Amino acid sequence: MGGFFSSIFSSLFGTREMRILILGLDGAGKTTILYRLQVGEVVTTIPTIGFNVETVTYKNLKFQVWDLGGQTSIRPYWRCYYSNTDAVIYVVDSCDRDRIGISKSELVAMLEEEELRKAILVVFANKQDMEQAMTPSEMANSLGLPALKDRKWQIFKTSATKGTGLDEAMEWLVETLKSRQ
Amino acid sequence: MLRSDTPVPQTFGLHFSGNAASLDNWAFLGTCLGIPGCWPNNCCSGQALVISVGEPHSKMFAKLKKKIAEETAVAQRPGGATRIPRSVSKESVASMGADSGDDFASDGSSSREDLSSQLLRRNEQIRKLEARLSDYAEQVRTLQKIKEKLEIALEKHQDSSMRKFQEQNETFQANRARMAEGLALALARKDQEWSEKVDQLEKDKRFLTAQLQEMKNQSLNLFQRRDEMDELEGFQQQELSKVKHMLLKKEESLGKMEQELEARTRELSRTQEELVTSSQISLDLSQKLEELQRHYSALEEQRDHVTASKTGAENKITVLEQKEQELQAFIQQLSIDLQKVTAETQEKEKLITHLQEKVASLEKRLEQNLSGEEHVQELLKEKTLAEQNLEDTRQQLLAARSSQAKAINNLETRVKELEQSLQASEEELKRSGDVVAAREAQIRELAAANTESSRAQQQALALEQQQAERIHALETQLAGLGRARVADLTATEQELRKLEQENAALKESKNECECSLQHHQLELKKLKEEWSQREIVSVAMAQALEEVRKQREELQQQAADLTAMMGEKEQSLQEKMEVILQKEQEILQLKKGHDSALLQTRQLQSELEALQGLRAEEATATREDLLRLTGQERPLVLSASKPHVTSRARQDPEYQLPAVEGIPNGEMGAATDLGQLQKEKQDLEQQLLEKNKTIKQMQQRMLELKKTLQKELKIRPDNELFEVREKPGPEMSNLAPSVTNNADLTDAREINFEYLKHVVLKFMSCRESEAFHLIKAVSVLLNFSQEEENMLKETLEYKLALKAEALSLCQEGRQPIHHVVMMLDRQAFKTVPRRADPPASAVKSQLSEAGFFQLPFPVCKFGFR
Repeated sequence: MGGFFSSIFSSLFGTREMRILILGLDGAGKTTILYRLQVGEVVTTIPTIGFNVETVTYKNLKFQVWDLGGQTSIRPYWRCYYSNTDAVIYVVDSCDRDRIGISKSELVAMLEEEELRKAILVVFANKQDMEQAMTPSEMANSLGLPALKDRKWQIFKTSATKGTGLDEAMEWLVETLKSRQ
Repeated sequence: MLRSDTPVPQTFGLHFSGNAASLDNWAFLGTCLGIPGCWPNNCCSGQALVISVGEPHSKMFAKLKKKIAEETAVAQRPGGATRIPRSVSKESVASMGADSGDDFASDGSSSREDLSSQLLRRNEQIRKLEARLSDYAEQVRTLQKIKEKLEIALEKHQDSSMRKFQEQNETFQANRARMAEGLALALARKDQEWSEKVDQLEKDKRFLTAQLQEMKNQSLNLFQRRDEMDELEGFQQQELSKVKHMLLKKEESLGKMEQELEARTRELSRTQEELVTSSQISLDLSQKLEELQRHYSALEEQRDHVTASKTGAENKITVLEQKEQELQAFIQQLSIDLQKVTAETQEKEKLITHLQEKVASLEKRLEQNLSGEEHVQELLKEKTLAEQNLEDTRQQLLAARSSQAKAINNLETRVKELEQSLQASEEELKRSGDVVAAREAQIRELAAANTESSRAQQQALALEQQQAERIHALETQLAGLGRARVADLTATEQELRKLEQENAALKESKNECECSLQHHQLELKKLKEEWSQREIVSVAMAQALEEVRKQREELQQQAADLTAMMGEKEQSLQEKMEVILQKEQEILQLKKGHDSALLQTRQLQSELEALQGLRAEEATATREDLLRLTGQERPLVLSASKPHVTSRARQDPEYQLPAVEGIPNGEMGAATDLGQLQKEKQDLEQQLLEKNKTIKQMQQRMLELKKTLQKELKIRPDNELFEVREKPGPEMSNLAPSVTNNADLTDAREINFEYLKHVVLKFMSCRESEAFHLIKAVSVLLNFSQEEENMLKETLEYKLALKAEALSLCQEGRQPIHHVVMMLDRQAFKTVPRRADPPASAVKSQLSEAGFFQLPFPVCKFGFR
């Protein structure tokens, strides 16, 4: 039935909104990235209890971006949002070396989900403006990204507060999504 | 790692000499005795192996395995992480306390200056000890003997141990190979089995999903059917009501007809009555007619009679006229007779006068003749007779004359009478003519009346006939109506029956459908149950698989461990060999430097005591330190403490060794012993340093853990902290880290209220397309059942479809917006699906009802029956 309705939608509106999830541990900068993408400004955020959802238009593509809270207690609810997801933006705090292991295990567990089998993975090595930030390759290795199979992924070094790296990442995402269609 | 040192039996011999344990037994024990060694620091030092004393070889392996299993279990425990297990249990403390008299304390912190001062002190002590030295010499002698014996035993034991080691090695190798093979085989088999099972399960799953799909389809069909049924029932009821209405109408018309009929019958009876009366009248009339006819005939008779009497009267009249004439003629004759009679009377009177003259002549003559007196008397007599005759005749004449007159009078009266009677008769005639005329008029009248009556009769007859006809017609009509009514009734009854049958059939079919529905639902439920069971089974299988995998890993690890152990054993064997060689050398040296050793023994003894003191201090310090640390780490380490205790306990005899050894060695190679001791001291120092380092690391880790725990505690009020963040060893971190995003949500009944609030608020306030993605989250948070979730989903889908359709309509400009909104409202109000699983076709049909004919999909229409 869902197919039936989605066919209606696609016939009516031509294009469907792309669904993107922004995931990551708490304090990685997901909400900041979401609003940086939407309004292009740095907003002051509080820890997200729950989620934020915004529609972001980028290069004539509409994205329905879901920023899910990353606190340990609400991480189990991520998987309630996995269905029909086109891409996952996984945000990692480049300075948080202590919890990179947790971040990796969460990522691995997430990628094992059947509902996200076709989702594109974009890893944001966030907080690159800070000192002692891990390099993208270092992070990719510690997240075990090279071992991923059957998955389109890319890692970008970003700084949500400075706004660097986000455009490249979105560019890549848009191109990948377009080519996939 | 196993180390079988030669001093071990000595130690035990010293320990248990009072117990008079046989040497053979000790030798045997020595072979079996596992003495813990230090693991490399990068390894988990908690994985010390413990082999208990006095166990048979076969059991030893089992025990070893068990221990390894325990070790690995401990190692896999979350939170085990990189912690170096350490413990000071009461047991170890006790053991240390018990052994403290014989313990040789090695001090890591003591320096050479201390040693020299201690040596000075020890010189004094040596004097005291000299007394003891003689004892020691004796003891040394006895020890020498024992040593010899021990050497022999050692050799024996060495040989036997070598042999045993070789045997063990071989058996172990064989076992290992076999085990590895068996394990590999079992693993392969199990893998195959599992893969088969998984395949089977997947097949089952596919089958079940297909079934489920089928069932869904069936249920959809059923819903359709139900809808159909409902519709049919509606139709049926409509039809029934129609029929009832018709019946009522018919009954009404019947009643009307009956009333009409009654009216007609009444009319009929009235007309019959009328008929009767008219027939009576006609009878009367006919009677009258008869009477009249009779009368008429009588009148005709009368008339005839009258005409006859008239003719008679005419005849009489003629007769009378003739009679009159006759009488006139008679009267004339009589007048003539009268004249003649008068004439005769006159002649008779002349004759009477003549005869009177004669009678007078004859009387004169008689007077003259008187003697003739007799002739005169006869002549007077004859005269008297003649006179009498004359008188008679005269009288006769007179009588005739009166009779004549009388007759004439009579006749005249009679004529008069006759004339009168004639006149009367004429009058009478006239009258009778009148009468006749009247009669004739009457007759005519009567005839007219007759004709009229006949006509009336005819009319009556016609009327009667008409009536009869009418009656007949009415009767036929009545009969027709009755028949029609009956036919109608039968028809309606038949229809009713048919409808009832239909109804019954429909009900039956409905029942059947319901039955089948129930059946299907049951089946569905069963299938679901089966599915869940399968799922459970598959989960269990997966778990089992996981376990098997773990086991395999464990086994692999075990194998690796065993190989490592093998290597280590071999190494230890070599080491032992070396040690033995060393010992032999040492023995030689000991023999050589027996005398020179005496001094050094004293020195060493003093050193030993100092070292003992220091070691005791250090031991207590480390113990305290450890106690503190373990106190901090106790929740984390408690499980891992035991092996460490034992390891620690094993370390103690090791520490004792040099002390014990030192006493007999005191007489001999003291310099080497000192070097050894220093070496050991250095080792101990190094160990201490390492331990300090590890303690520091642990403390750092503790701090980190505390930090994270505090963070967690801020979020979680309950004490899940030990479960959540506990990590197994670093080598296991990839396998079982604290992954929370796939944690089992169903068990966590305690959901984050704020999270729930936020999600529900968003769900209620956001767009439908967003809300659609939130259904699952809401369902999980509020623990909705699958049906509830589906219902929510379908409701949203339906709303979305309606909205999209309305939007398209507005965009196309076919409908004004307010109209569309109204329509939508109405539809939404009316047709929000309330059933658990409304078919899509229902939505479609509703849409089509609402005028959405422009939908791109074909509107599914299903016929009845």
